[in-house]
Amino acid sequence: MILAAAERAQTAEQAAGAAATVPKDPAMAAVTANAETFVMMILLTLLAAITLAIIRQRNMFGVVILASIYSFLMASVMLALDAVDVAMTEASVGAGISTVVLLTTLYLTGSVEYPRPRSVAIPLFVSLVVGAALVWGTIGLPDFGIADAPIHKHVAPTYIEYSKKHEMPPNMVTAVLADFRGFDTLGETTVVFTAGIGVLLLLQGGWRTSGNSRRDDEDNELDIDGGEA
Amino acid sequence: MRLDLILRVGAKLILPFILLFALYVQFHGDYGPGGGFQAGVISAGMVILFAIIFGVRAAKHVAPPRVVEMMVPGGVLIFAGTGVVSMLLGYNFLDYTGFAHEFLHAHEWGILIVEIGVLVTVCGTMIAMFYAFVERGRT
Amino acid sequence: MEMIADAISWCLIVPGCFFLVTGALGLLRMPDVYTRMHAASVIETLGATLLVLGLIVQAGLTLVALKLVFVLALLFFFGPVASHALAQAALHADVKPVLAEDRRSRNLDSGPTGLAGSKEEPSP
Repeated sequence: MILAAAERAQTAEQAAGAAATVPKDPAMAAVTANAETFVMMILLTLLAAITLAIIRQRNMFGVVILASIYSFLMASVMLALDAVDVAMTEASVGAGISTVVLLTTLYLTGSVEYPRPRSVAIPLFVSLVVGAALVWGTIGLPDFGIADAPIHKHVAPTYIEYSKKHEMPPNMVTAVLADFRGFDTLGETTVVFTAGIGVLLLLQGGWRTSGNSRRDDEDNELDIDGGEA
Repeated sequence: MRLDLILRVGAKLILPFILLFALYVQFHGDYGPGGGFQAGVISAGMVILFAIIFGVRAAKHVAPPRVVEMMVPGGVLIFAGTGVVSMLLGYNFLDYTGFAHEFLHAHEWGILIVEIGVLVTVCGTMIAMFYAFVERGRT
Repeated sequence: MEMIADAISWCLIVPGCFFLVTGALGLLRMPDVYTRMHAASVIETLGATLLVLGLIVQAGLTLVALKLVFVLALLFFFGPVASHALAQAALHADVKPVLAEDRRSRNLDSGPTGLAGSKEEPSP
């Protein structure tokens, strides 16, 4: 009986969630769809503008800040597409940690880019040809986001029905990540581990004896007043 | 009066809430957006903010390099160890059915433990990378 | 009742958007780093505060309104901290402000570290 009550609550919540995003009145539904398209167009235009600014910027510091803005806009695009988990990951990793790590890299290397040694004609030609081929390839894809595209009919309905039938956690993204596709998440965690070990070996290999670094007693250069408590 | 007084007070106010939010995102990954990756990155961000405001030496008291280096493979150990435990219980690798008497609770326990593994690895990797960059610059 | 809530949220969201546009305009047109930061901090205090207050009125008395209150407190207290950090970083990097009249030579001892050694002659 508890399970039946939980199932009713879950379906009611899903119906409420669906009703909140698409209003029942057809006129309001059209206005909502138009507003979503408008927001999406503005965000994609800003993305294109930021990309052009990244290409034209010569100072590396400015490029890092613009890349952080790009990640934030990308998170907003994903939010507009209703992919909230991916948006949160993109915002925290792209606009947070990635910017900090790139800034510490600039602190080590300096932020002036060397001038271009040779002309830009051949790379521009190659990228234009490849880009045109990709755009021509996307003409054959099905429309964006419709319910009966082949990708939505293979495995996803099985996951959704299995989740509903067996009362799994309501967030299906976590259920797919950690339960149905647990192997892939194990592989991802191993990739993060390997990347971390690789970076540590590159930056510290051979310096560290055991435990903390030898240079513990100097002031560091990261804060203004020398790190006194 | 020191120059960075406002920054220190502001950081002292916000740092516990950043960690609390990271744990919230981790444990509510079942019911809303979240999970191990986001929580790991947010908690690493807390340690990095601490290091930026109060100095790397103070941050190394909070998150010692030894502990952080052990966190990096520790999360993979937790994740793969969950799979091995379920094999020892008689089921397939990473099949969570053996963890409790009921299907729903067993799968919830399994998801919780593997997400903790992901949190530990991601957090340790980010903090260790930050320490490595800063150590390199102290020449 | 709904109309009153809608009217109040209109009166809060539209000035918020006005301050956002003003701050962005100031960010583009001001001559110096410090004045630009002064204009941009309007966006995160006044603009975001009014917008979030309008959204709270729209959300009614639900859990979403409580979360919006927390978002408002975060933006209101730590937006200016971020602006302060940016201004201090600019000072530390020896970015000199564009001044109409230089009064720095009168208080040498309590000046900030970045500019103590670069004073100019005061205009007569």
